[in-house]
Amino acid sequence: MEILLLLAMNGLIWGLIIALIALGLSVIFGLLDIINIAHGDFFMVGTMVAWATVEASGNFWLAFLAAPLIGFVLGALIQRIVIQPIRNAAALSIVATFGLSMIMQETARLTFGAIPKRLLPPIQQTLTVFGLEYEVYRLFAAALAIAALAGFFLYLHRTKIGTWMRAVRHDRDTAIAMGIPAEKVYVLTFAIGFALAAFGGAVAAPITTVDFRGGVDILPVCFMAVIIGGLGNLPGTAAAAVLLAFMEGVIQSFADPTVARIASLVLMSAVLLIRPQGLFKGFAR
Amino acid sequence: MTRTAVDRGMFAAFAVLMLAVPWIVPELLGAFWVSVIAEILIWSLLAASVNLLFGYVGLLSFGQALYFGFGMYGVGIGIAHLGLSFWPAFGLGIVASMAMALVAGIFAVRLTWHYFAIITVVFSLIFYFLFLTIKPVTGGDDGINFTLPPTFRFGSTEIGLADSTFQYFFILFFVAACFWLMHRVIRSPLGKALMAIRDNDVRASLIGLNIYLLRLVAFVMAGFLAGVSGALFALFGRYSSASYMFYHVSGEAVVWAIVGGTGTLFGPFVGTGIFILVREVISTQWHHHLLIVGVIAILIVMFAPRGFVGLWHNLMDRLFSPRGSP
Amino acid sequence: MTEPVLRTDGLTKRFGGLVAVDDVNIAFESGRVHAIIGPNGAGKTTLFNIISGLQAPDAGRVFFAGQDITGLKPHQISRRGIKRTMQIKSVFPNLSVADNLWITAKAGQGFLHPFRSAASFADIQEKVDGLLEQIGLTGVAGQIAGTLAYGDMALLEIGMALVSSPKLLLLDEPICGMSPVETENTVEKIRALAKQVDIVIIEHDMEVVFGLADDITVMAQGGVLASGTPKEIGADERVREAYLGRPEDDAFDEDEAHA
Repeated sequence: MEILLLLAMNGLIWGLIIALIALGLSVIFGLLDIINIAHGDFFMVGTMVAWATVEASGNFWLAFLAAPLIGFVLGALIQRIVIQPIRNAAALSIVATFGLSMIMQETARLTFGAIPKRLLPPIQQTLTVFGLEYEVYRLFAAALAIAALAGFFLYLHRTKIGTWMRAVRHDRDTAIAMGIPAEKVYVLTFAIGFALAAFGGAVAAPITTVDFRGGVDILPVCFMAVIIGGLGNLPGTAAAAVLLAFMEGVIQSFADPTVARIASLVLMSAVLLIRPQGLFKGFAR
Repeated sequence: MTRTAVDRGMFAAFAVLMLAVPWIVPELLGAFWVSVIAEILIWSLLAASVNLLFGYVGLLSFGQALYFGFGMYGVGIGIAHLGLSFWPAFGLGIVASMAMALVAGIFAVRLTWHYFAIITVVFSLIFYFLFLTIKPVTGGDDGINFTLPPTFRFGSTEIGLADSTFQYFFILFFVAACFWLMHRVIRSPLGKALMAIRDNDVRASLIGLNIYLLRLVAFVMAGFLAGVSGALFALFGRYSSASYMFYHVSGEAVVWAIVGGTGTLFGPFVGTGIFILVREVISTQWHHHLLIVGVIAILIVMFAPRGFVGLWHNLMDRLFSPRGSP
Repeated sequence: MTEPVLRTDGLTKRFGGLVAVDDVNIAFESGRVHAIIGPNGAGKTTLFNIISGLQAPDAGRVFFAGQDITGLKPHQISRRGIKRTMQIKSVFPNLSVADNLWITAKAGQGFLHPFRSAASFADIQEKVDGLLEQIGLTGVAGQIAGTLAYGDMALLEIGMALVSSPKLLLLDEPICGMSPVETENTVEKIRALAKQVDIVIIEHDMEVVFGLADDITVMAQGGVLASGTPKEIGADERVREAYLGRPEDDAFDEDEAHA
């Protein structure tokens, strides 16, 4: 029973982190019309940056800063250099992101090697929860994720640029007619998407492994959250991410994790076919 | 010298070269490269299945590896577990892949292209994970190995793929046959209808075309191509593995198709050839050939979205119609 | 009275809070050219969309030569003989002009052979060649449709509507964007067509409308404001107010003088 509760908590916490990453995917998909195959690798870059920063400086807080910053800059560069020129051929942008994914994975492998690395968390204590040892860092990670989520939604609704993003997502032509610089918004969106995923990577790094293939596992879950939560429905996506991870965490206690994965995928197919606007209608704007 | 003459001449030269491979290649490069060419032929069908859907119908499928997998396992399971002989196993692979394409297509083809692309991946992932779990049957990621029964038996004489020359021609024959079928379809009423749907689906429905049905037909045809590819792969390697059903395989096929040139007959072959050659030539020296794959993919998408065959057509247009566009 | 070729009964379509088509009842007789006019946003194109099956009505029914075609899919309606052109020129941009016509001619025939070469269908080829002559595009038969001049594209669209032997032709602003010469050309063709095919045309150019149409239906804000002969419509006060009552619109007065 305790194991179940523990796995459930792990799932919940992991879900919060996935929510961050999935939000990045959602804004890229919603605003730029791009199915970003490289998004899992953005997460992986975050884990790598975190590891490298800690190796170089021993300071974890630097890692939490460096990852989103580098992610932001890389995202902006990629958008300007690769994505912008091919904006008109939406289908081709999938191929571009797929190419990006391969480049990022191989570059990571070149730079950091093929062997997965363990990154020790900044907080190493454990708590006794339900009679078992529970890493305090996980709770801390959850807090970080919640803070980032809150920060993101505040930014979206309280700042001018955030409002621009929502406007362009809602109705691009009207937004442009109203003088909103759509091109800049696109660069910003992609950059923020990368930054969110990278930050998620930095936060998650001590909980999972730092591996050049780390993005491959994350990608399907993120897409599931975006689809099931509803495209363009950011709170729904966050909620779906938490729910999916929580469910998978629970199912893992009594079944093969692959079965859990298959179940989520089947659910995702059902949503796509029957209710493509997602399951969380109430949150939709 | 007309353009058609050039096209025909090039094709004839190409055909002669392909037929002469088992004799000239071992002399010039070594017997290993005959296998490489055979592999290029096999995988070019997977790229062709992507190309049929994307280049001629406007549907980008990121999950063709699923039907490849069914073709592959139809042969693998047929021979290893069901004790089938050569042709029934081959047939099973093809039928299984077409059946799966029909089932998946009934649902997938309803969706607009974003969601279509996503659901093709989702379907392929579902079966990838499924095939991973039923290890006793599929061997999971490790796969199953098997020995091939002979292809033909005349009395006491047997001819099989164990003979590498026969194997090469066997593969060449079926791949060429598939490309010939595609060629027929493209020039047929069905082909024109598919292209009309690709260009303007609303207008297509207004002239009386049943878009859903036609897309489904195309999807099954693409499943057929991917299935033949998978079946040939299993026959060639005497091996089937779930790892070939992962979305990466589908994605690479998309890259090959686009780099080669979508909407062209030979694009898939050219694209596949380029990437497999790059892999074979480079991976002996450097393990990171996927980096090059990624870079080429991005460069092509940015600078030559019509692919290499598209570039060739542009060149031909310029050489043979110097007036330019009227 | 014989069954009208096109009849709608209480046709209504809403988009969220907006009523695009509001309880529309029309009955168009065969053998007469019908025009639908009205200010932008009056619901004319939506009406066409519903009739051709691109959109489903929220209420009401559509009858074509007595048959209820409400809710049928676009390709089913097309096969019954209703063909339409679109407001924004809509052809198959990557196919040649000849292929555009070819596939339109073949599409209605049902079975599409997957292996036989298209060029071997002599009857279709004849039809296409004939039609290219008729609309005057023989010279650009091999050109890729997406590269056509605007006027030629509009002609191609009309050609596509014709090649499939329509019983009812819905033309949505066919001369929109054409030069005066092209306009005259097209109007002539439509007039000739009207002798063989029933035509309903949405148009803004009043000269064209009053010159071509036998009956005019005026729509405004989703509903039918008035319908009748050009003379009746011209005299209708409500129509004048809603639509024609603008000093720059001399076309009507000119027609009155000629009538």
